[in-house]
Amino acid sequence: MAVRIALEPFDPQAETARFAAGRDDAGALVSFVGLCRAATGGAAVEELRIDHYPGFTEKEIARLTEETARRFDCPDLLVVHRVGRIEPGEAIVLVAALSVHRANAFEAVKVLMDYLKTDAPLWKKESGPDGARWIEPRAEDHTRRRQAEKDMA
Amino acid sequence: MVRLVFLGKFGDLAPPSLAQVALPREVKTLADLKSWIGRAEPGLGRAMENTPARLVLNQCVALDLSHAVSDGDEVAFLPPMSGG
Repeated sequence: MAVRIALEPFDPQAETARFAAGRDDAGALVSFVGLCRAATGGAAVEELRIDHYPGFTEKEIARLTEETARRFDCPDLLVVHRVGRIEPGEAIVLVAALSVHRANAFEAVKVLMDYLKTDAPLWKKESGPDGARWIEPRAEDHTRRRQAEKDMA
Repeated sequence: MVRLVFLGKFGDLAPPSLAQVALPREVKTLADLKSWIGRAEPGLGRAMENTPARLVLNQCVALDLSHAVSDGDEVAFLPPMSGG
């Protein structure tokens, strides 16, 4: 398992290639990259800022990652999450999963992203011409998170 | 001294003077600490009442606010999270 908090822009393709290099124990590699949009809900976004709580953030994301790997029997998972100032077009998050067959890798990436939306100690603030606002998880993020819990039970 | 960490929108409302505080005599627990902060900084106190805040004591989630706070502790106040 690898969890990295990136203080600077990162290259998702290079990170994914490094993660999968030399792995002959997996038949599937699935990755997801979340990007900073230039507009949200019709309002322009000039800058995104993500705060984290050093030490605790890494520990909590590692816990969620290990839980997901156990659940979907993934030999390895990767999370890279940007913090600090992020400009539109830059990658915010990369989640990649290796598994024997594709279904588990797809599910692991989806569920881990749901966890990150609601349970990872990260705080997003969007700034645009109309000012700045802190982003909170949407109702649908909580619904997806609850569904993931139900599926696990 | 106790180190206080305010994340996300709580960080915008917390003055730098709250980063490190001498524990007032009446503050024995996390609940006492939260109330004391609310009295010292009413805007921040209101935000922590209106938003479900999680507390983290020495990097571990504190579910029980009756937990004791002592000199040398680090207490963090976390508003709802929004990663991904």
